[in-house]
Parts: sequence; structure tokens; C-alpha cells
Amino acid sequence: MGRYALQRLIGIVPLLFIVSVLVFMFIHLIPGDPARLIAGKEATLEEINQTRVLLGLDQPLWKQYLSYMKDMFQGDLGNSIRSGLPVTEMMKSRFLPTLWLTLLSMAWAVVIGVVIGIVSAVKRNKWPDYAGMLIAISGISIPGFWLGLVLIQIFSVQLGWFPTGGIDSWKSYVLPSLTLGAGIMSMIARFSRSSMLETMREDYIRTARAKGLMEFVVVGRHALRNSLIQVVTIAGLQFGFLLGGSVMVETVFSIPGLGRMLVDSISFRDYTVIQAELLLFAAEFILINLVVDLLYGVLNPKIRYADN
Amino acid sequence: MKFKGKSWSMLSLLIVMAIVASACSSNNNNAAGSENGSSPSSSASAPSESGAAPSKNGNNPVIAVNANFITLDPHNTSDTLSITGARTMYEGLMGFDDNMQVVPVLAESYEISEDGLVYTFKLKQNIKFHDGTDFNSEAVKVNIERILDEKNNLRFRKSFAKVSKIETPDAATVVFTLSEPYNAFLNKLAMGLMISPAALTEFGTDISKHPSGTGPFKFKEWVEGDRLVVEKNPDYWQQGLPKVDSVTFKPVPENGSRIAMLKTGEADFIYPMPTEQVAEVEGDGNIVVDKIDSTIVRYITLNTMKKPYDDLKVRQAINYAIDKDAYLKVVKSGLGAKLDSTMSSKTQFYSQQPAYDYDVEKAKQLLSEAGYPDGFDAEIWGENDSESVKGMQFIKQQLELVGIKLEVKSMEGATLSDQINTPATPADAKIQMWFVSWSPSSNDADGATRGLFSSTMFPPAGSNTAYYKNDNVDKWIEDANKATDPETAKTIFADIQKQIWADAPWAFLGVDQVISGKRNNIEGVTVLPDGSINILKAEVK
Amino acid sequence: MNDHSTVMGSGAPGGREQAVVPDKPKNPFGQFLRKFSKQKLSLIAGIFIVMLFLVAIFAPFLTPYNPDTPNYDKMMAGPSADHWAGTDEYGRDILSRLIVGARLSLAVSLSSVFIAAVIGTILGLLSGFYGKWLDRLIMRGSDVLFSFPDILLAIGIVAILGPGLLNVVIAVAVFGIPSFARMIRSVTLSVKETLFVEAARSIGAKDSRIIWRHIFPETVPSVIVNLTMKIGTAILAASSLSFLGMGAKPTEPDWGAMLSMGRDYLSIAPHVVYFPGVAIFLTVLAFNLLGDGLRDALDPKMKN
Repeated sequence: MGRYALQRLIGIVPLLFIVSVLVFMFIHLIPGDPARLIAGKEATLEEINQTRVLLGLDQPLWKQYLSYMKDMFQGDLGNSIRSGLPVTEMMKSRFLPTLWLTLLSMAWAVVIGVVIGIVSAVKRNKWPDYAGMLIAISGISIPGFWLGLVLIQIFSVQLGWFPTGGIDSWKSYVLPSLTLGAGIMSMIARFSRSSMLETMREDYIRTARAKGLMEFVVVGRHALRNSLIQVVTIAGLQFGFLLGGSVMVETVFSIPGLGRMLVDSISFRDYTVIQAELLLFAAEFILINLVVDLLYGVLNPKIRYADN
Repeated sequence: MKFKGKSWSMLSLLIVMAIVASACSSNNNNAAGSENGSSPSSSASAPSESGAAPSKNGNNPVIAVNANFITLDPHNTSDTLSITGARTMYEGLMGFDDNMQVVPVLAESYEISEDGLVYTFKLKQNIKFHDGTDFNSEAVKVNIERILDEKNNLRFRKSFAKVSKIETPDAATVVFTLSEPYNAFLNKLAMGLMISPAALTEFGTDISKHPSGTGPFKFKEWVEGDRLVVEKNPDYWQQGLPKVDSVTFKPVPENGSRIAMLKTGEADFIYPMPTEQVAEVEGDGNIVVDKIDSTIVRYITLNTMKKPYDDLKVRQAINYAIDKDAYLKVVKSGLGAKLDSTMSSKTQFYSQQPAYDYDVEKAKQLLSEAGYPDGFDAEIWGENDSESVKGMQFIKQQLELVGIKLEVKSMEGATLSDQINTPATPADAKIQMWFVSWSPSSNDADGATRGLFSSTMFPPAGSNTAYYKNDNVDKWIEDANKATDPETAKTIFADIQKQIWADAPWAFLGVDQVISGKRNNIEGVTVLPDGSINILKAEVK
Repeated sequence: MNDHSTVMGSGAPGGREQAVVPDKPKNPFGQFLRKFSKQKLSLIAGIFIVMLFLVAIFAPFLTPYNPDTPNYDKMMAGPSADHWAGTDEYGRDILSRLIVGARLSLAVSLSSVFIAAVIGTILGLLSGFYGKWLDRLIMRGSDVLFSFPDILLAIGIVAILGPGLLNVVIAVAVFGIPSFARMIRSVTLSVKETLFVEAARSIGAKDSRIIWRHIFPETVPSVIVNLTMKIGTAILAASSLSFLGMGAKPTEPDWGAMLSMGRDYLSIAPHVVYFPGVAIFLTVLAFNLLGDGLRDALDPKMKN
């Protein structure tokens, strides 16, 4: 187990290296000239060329990559091409809103999702099941930006209960996390329903039932515990995805998070920012993946990792 | 089959829910539109939350804008919003009034020599930068030298490229000597804002994060992507200003969200106000909509070196085929004016031209004369923002009526810029039509002409995407710049506009209005014709 | 299953992907029908989808108006007897546009999911069957692909390839590939251990034959279920691209484009947004319900 974890951890390094190369090539493939975009529409050709030289964009790609890697190993992610601000600083200020949004969305989505899942599983093919699944599936059937705009119309403009966005207080996060969590809630609801159904067919549940334990004890203590393992897995993975920031929700609710920063930096071909952000996402995702894998092993003793 | 009825009822319930949701919102909106004054419950509940203040934000108004601030280094801005930000804290020798006319600010008076080469400025006395140091002629010199230093590669360098010498005979006098006459120089000086030399020495390139000028507001904080807060400068040299304690700018990219903030009072002022929603909020007693003509012109460039647009008749036909009234109605929700020259009526040396009145028959006739009785297939490029997409779709519908089958290609801004600027020669250019807008940043006629119509400005050197070449126009542009007498310059620019208008390298569409929305208790916040926001006289009532 | 990455395979956004390994029923189709007909919601969803396809196929005969003809005197008129769903910002009939749009939206989502399914299935089969370095390569590759926010990938692809219908299809397809690859891989892994594959191998059948004849058929139910569910995701993804201005063709009546172009009118002419919104919602909902039903019906473990 420990050895396996270590192996995986070490495996991350080459993976990140490959990601960095891919990301680098990917963003330079996208047509667009940051020097021109930064110099502005009234810039002269000379000015644009000088900007290009200053940014080092006149160098061959491999040289640009090497100098980028060199700086990175010294802990320097560089400055934004567009604003000149240090990328690390920018990411720091953008990370927190995204983290909050993710945590709050996950929190309600997991709670409601699991409840719906259990009810649906216990009352399988009865009306609570249909209702639960309808609610759940509705959650992933609505375009996020549309849901967000409608929530703003109803809860901010008409009722005045919550602000339209921003990051000023916890209230600002209510509507965005409702919007973002809808999809996850439905995923978790569906997942916990089916894994509940699965575990409830296992032998030990039958045994428990046969022993004459009350139904809610069977469901609560035995079935639930086991299906929760899988729910944890799914939730963890979703967490990884969400940390990438949601472009849609962050735009609609004016949240200065990572997702919006990424879209902004793409539209200005702000290479240093895009690179740093994508590497961060890859690292986050891989690490969370690893943690989830290991957690899965800990929670479910049936799984053994081969130390191959 | 026992649950058949149940599942049906679930499905119908769902549909009912969807319809109720839609009806609910639309009803509410209608209510907000029709019940003047009594207005949404939000404003009624707001005071109880924030302590019965007349404004949710007290004497600290919040302004919602549609983009992020990029830099606060006033010499390195190239976007209007960053210029807005810089102007809250910085001032120049000259500045713009609300009509974008150039007026003295830090200069007391100025004199221009007969030959147009020497500009002498008397400076106002007893003005201090936010860091307490004095504003004087030495400070002006330091700033201009910073801009001119090639190593700094600042956006404003080209504006001052004609400055050959700066002298400071005494603390209150600055003398600029130019290498050749340049009648847009005062406009350029209005853009050249003054930074405290002490702060420049202290912070160097980091000055963007530590602004220190002479302006009405001092820097408080800038959280990139979330807000810029500036606070009252108590020692401001203009008596009684500013009247608010602080102003917060918030980037809110989504139109619907920005307008929602205005309705709820979270924002006291928004710009831009989406044209689509103006009619709706005008019925709301809490909100005031301000509209003024802008310097932003909308047009379609026609590649005059490419078939069939090389034929004047085809270009004229396209101009006649577009119903400009319908354009304003459909694309601009009726807010705007027809473009009747190569520049907006708000721009320096504007001269009105006779309209290309909507005439489908004439357009068809011109097309047959040019040899295209059945029209032709064409392609229009534009950015992917909703305004451009909407505009291009409208143009497509219009040109279809004269037989021109238009394919709309909307591209992301950076990709489009690459497509336009990659071809090194006019022959390589693939561009046919481009749906685009322009506003000269310092509102001078040169800025509205040279980059767009001089044959030295073909991409990638400039923005002459019509590949328009007229030797007279080329020569006149040079002459006009050197004319020392404004009247002469004005005459030359009138000739330029007349010639270009007749040559029709563009399909001329409209002039935007800059439209802002504010809560009715806010006064003194104005938007200039170039789309920059002036908060000097902001006041909460 | 002794392999950890099956766990990861179920983590795709937008849908639950679980390996579905059926045993060999005697009359599989009859059994399927019997089970599927029990899923009332899915049945209704299925009927809805069939109708939607009919609408899409016969669209030109069903539209009350020409969907592209503008009428500047009748812009943004609310629903009426003449225009059941009102008119849009150019005065075009929204119902007609929705009908024609059904074709476009279904075409984009179906083709992109189909592409993703084909490529993903092939990769999954190879990865699961051969294992070793090929497996690692493919799985790490899909890790990398997975680790980028999907919409970003789509933005990048559209930016590189330029705008247009085909490129949107490709962009949406690319981020569907890893989920198919992972799911099919886990099915392959478990089928590989079964008796009939062993038997085929022992009589010296070629790899390609084993994969194609013995393993692939076993993955079909999983592919179908995932395919159905991913169609909904694809419709939403395409509309998100439209929201960011990277959609198929802004002039075409694509539902996502209608929704994103209309959002500026949300407060003054809500019908411009609500009808396309409801169309997308119901369609995605129907595909998801159908997918759920198919999974329950095809999954032998779900027997009552």
C-alpha cells in the first residue's frame, strides 16, 4: 500500500512534465499574436515587434520552453504577458473564490444527492423514486448559464434575497453554488441510488434482513455505509474537476475565479497565465485522483493494490 | 402497470414546472416594467438590510463595468477601461471635458509658436501628488522622458515621438519642441498623465500597483478581476471635490448580471448599459438612463483590392443595399445615429457627407452595371461578441435582397486579428468584408483617419483593412498633420472625408451611443464619447 | 476487478459510467424489452425522442414559416395564434426555428458522441486487451485529457481549427473520448478473464478476432448506455460553446445559439429564451432518462 502510493506519487513527476510540454505546444498552436493584442489596435509595427522581443516571443519555441522550465524550477511562474503582474500572485487571489464555490456546491450537492439516492433506492420503482430521479436528472439537463440567469432574475432582482454575484459575503455564493451544484447533485443522486441497490442485494444485507433487523437499520447501517464509499469516490473526483473553476458560473455571477481568469487569458493569449493555470489543474486533478484511489483502497478492503 | 398514471403525472408535473417557471419570471418582469416607481421588492427590502441608507452603498458608490482593469500604469494603457481607472487618480497637463474637447487641467495656460513647433506651458501652482511631493515642471519632464525611453516600451511612446526637446526654464514652465508640426499634440498631451517622480523612483515597473498622481482620488486597493477601489483625495486642488468618500469599480462581464445589479442597487452606476434593456429600465423610477453620441463608429470594410469589391459600383451597391434605419432598429434597439462620414460627429474636424439612402433598386442596378446582375457569394468576418454576430446576421439578411449571398464567419478576437494581420501583402489578404468598429483614443481626426485610410497602413502595419489607396488622401493626411492653423487642417480633413466617402471603401453603418444606467440618487458620473467614465463630480444624493 | 482505474472511469462529468457486464441471457432482446417496458419514465422519454427525431427528419414540412425570413415590423412579439412561440429579435418565427434547430442540435450532438464512442471504444478495447505499456499510455493520456476543464479543451480546439459546425463537433467529441475509453477498458478487463475468451485463445484465434468477435459484443450494452447519456451532455456542451461565442454557426437556428443570443432579451422578451431553453431541457432530460432506463434494463445485476 505505502509502496504503491509512493510509486504513484513519483509517477506524477513525468506525467506533469508531459503535461507541461503538451500544454506549451497546445497554446502555441492556437492562432493569435499576444504582442499585437497587448500593443493595442493603434500600435505601430515597430512597437509590436519590440513588444515581441521584450516578451521573448521572437525566440524559437524550444528556447522559450526551456527558459520557461528553468524559471519554473526556480519557483518563478513569470509575469502575466498582458498585465505584467506576477502569475503566482494572480492565481492566489483567484484560487480562493473558486475553492469556496467548489466547497459550497459540493456540500449541498452531496447531502441532497445522497438523500435522494437513498430514498429512490429504498422506494425503487415507486413514486418517490420517480420524483427523486426526475429532480436529479433535471439538474444535469439545464444549461448552467441559463439556470444562473434565471436564478438571478428570481432571487436577486424580484425577491432581493441574495446578491447577484461577487464575493463580498457568504450570501454572494448562494446562487452560484446552487447553479454549479445542480449537476453534481444529480450525478451523486443517481450514483448513490444504484450503488445502494447493488449493496442491498449483497449477501450480508440479506443476512441482516433475515436476522430480522429493522429495515432502517439495514439501510442505514449496512447498505448506506458501503455505498457511501463509492459516493466519496465520485464526490472526490468531481471536486477535482470543479477546482478548475466553472467558466459559465463565474461569468454569470461575476466571480473572480480561476475559470474566468483562464478564459480571459486565453482571449489575450496570455501564455504565461494559461500555462501556469493548466499545470495547476493537471496537478490538482492528478493528486486528487491519487488520494481518491488510495481512499478507495482504505475504505474497501476487498481491493488490493498489486505492488507490481 | 400500476404506476403508469403516476409516471404520467410526474412528466406533466415537470412540464407544468417548466412553464410556471417561465411564466413566473415573465410575469414578474412585466410587473417591473409596468408598475412605475413602485418597483421590485428588492429595493423595498434593501434599506432594512443595510440600515435605511438612501443608497445601498452609502457615500461609496459602486460602478459595474464589463471588463477587467488590465493595468493602472497611465502610460501603458491601451484599453478604455484602464484609462478610466488611471484618470480617477491621475491628471495630465491637458484633459478632456465631457464632450471630449481638449481643455487645460494641470496647465494654467499654454502658447503655441507660429510655426507649430514650440509649445510653452505655464503650470498650476501648489499642486501635490498623493505622496506629498510637488507637481512642477521637473515632474513633467521626468514623465515625458519615461514615456519616450525606448527601453520602457510604453504604449504612449508613439504619441510623443515628435517631441525632440523638453526644457524647464523654471518650476512652473515647460517648453516642448517638436521635430515637425503636429496638430494632434494637445490631444496626445491630454492622454499623457503625470505620475509622481518620487513614486516612479521607488516602485519602478511596479508603479501599476502603487499609483500616485494628482487626481481627485487616491488608490485604495486593486484586487485583479474583482474590484478597484479609489478613495477621496482630501487635499485635491479643486475646491469641494470629490464629493464621495470612495468609488468601487467592479467588472461584471455578463450583460444580464450587470443590469440586475443596477436593479437591486448593488451597483449605483453601470456602463455599458445593454441597448436591448434600455426600454425596459426606462420605466423603472429608480433608474436613470443616460445616452450621448459617441466617437465609436460601426462599419464594414470592403477589400478594395479584391474582386468584386475593387469595383466602385459594387461598393456603392452594398452601401445602398443596407437599410441604416433598420440597422439601428434591429441591431441597436433604436439607439444610435447613422454614420454620415468617416468619423463620428463628436470627433475633431468632422464634416458631414450626403447619405447613401437605402435603395434596393439602385443597388441592383449598380450591381448589374458592374457585371453582377445576380449578385455573388461573399464572406463577412467579425468578432464573436453578440453585438457583432447580431450585426452580421442583419447584414446577411439585407444583402440577400440584392442577390449577395453572405456567409457569416464570427471568430474569437485574437484569431480574427491573426487572420487579418498575417498576410504580408495586399495580394495575400483573404479578407473580403469585416464588420468592425473604431474609436480614436485621443479623439483627434488623425487618429480617426491615418490608421484606417493611409496606404502606408495596410495590415500588418495598420488597420487599413479596406486596402484603400488614394494618392490624394495619402498626401492630404500628411499635409493636415503639419498644418499649423486649425482652420487649414479642418479644410483638408473635409476634403479627405469627402473623397473617402465617394470612394466607399466601407459600408457605412452607424455611430454608437454610449449608454449608461444609474440609480436616481447618483449625480455627476458621466461617460465620455469614447466610453471612458468620469467620476470627478460623482455625488450621492 | 482488481484494477484501481475502474474507479476513475466512473468519474466523468455529466453522467454515471459504470461497467455493465451482462451474462448471457437466453433471449436477450425479449428480456431487455420486458425490463425496459417497466421503466415508465424511460419509456416516455423514448417516445419523446422518437418524436423529436421525426420532427427533425420532416422539419422542412413542419415549419409554419421560413425560419430565416426576418420581419423587422414584428420583432420579439410574444406567443400568439400566428406565432405559437412568438418571434425573435429579427422577427423570425421561433417555432419554425426550433423545429429546424432540432435537426441541427441532434446532428451536432449525435455525430460528436458517435465519434467519441468509436474512438473511445477502440482505445478502450486495445488498452484493456493488451495491457502493459499500451494500457498505461492510453490511460495516462486520458488522465491528461481529463485533467483539463472540458470547456477549455473545446475552446482551444475551436480556436485552433477555426469556427464552424464540423469543428464544434470535433471539439465536443474530444472530451467525450476518455470516458468511453475508460469504461470500455474496464469491461474488456473483466471479459478477458472469462471462459469463452480463454477458450478462443486456446484454440489459437487471432487477437483481432478475439477482440472483435468475443470482447466487443460484450461492451455493446455499456456503449449504448453511455452513448445515450452523453448525447444530453453534448447538447449542453454545444450550447455552452455558443454562450462563449464559439458555437457552430451563429446564423443557424441551433438551440444553443438561440439561447445564448437571446439571453440579452431575458428580461424584456423572455419567450425568446424560454422556448429554446425548454427545448434543450426536455431533450437532455429525455436522453438522460432513456439512458438510465437502458442501463437498468441492460444491467443483469439490477434484476429484482
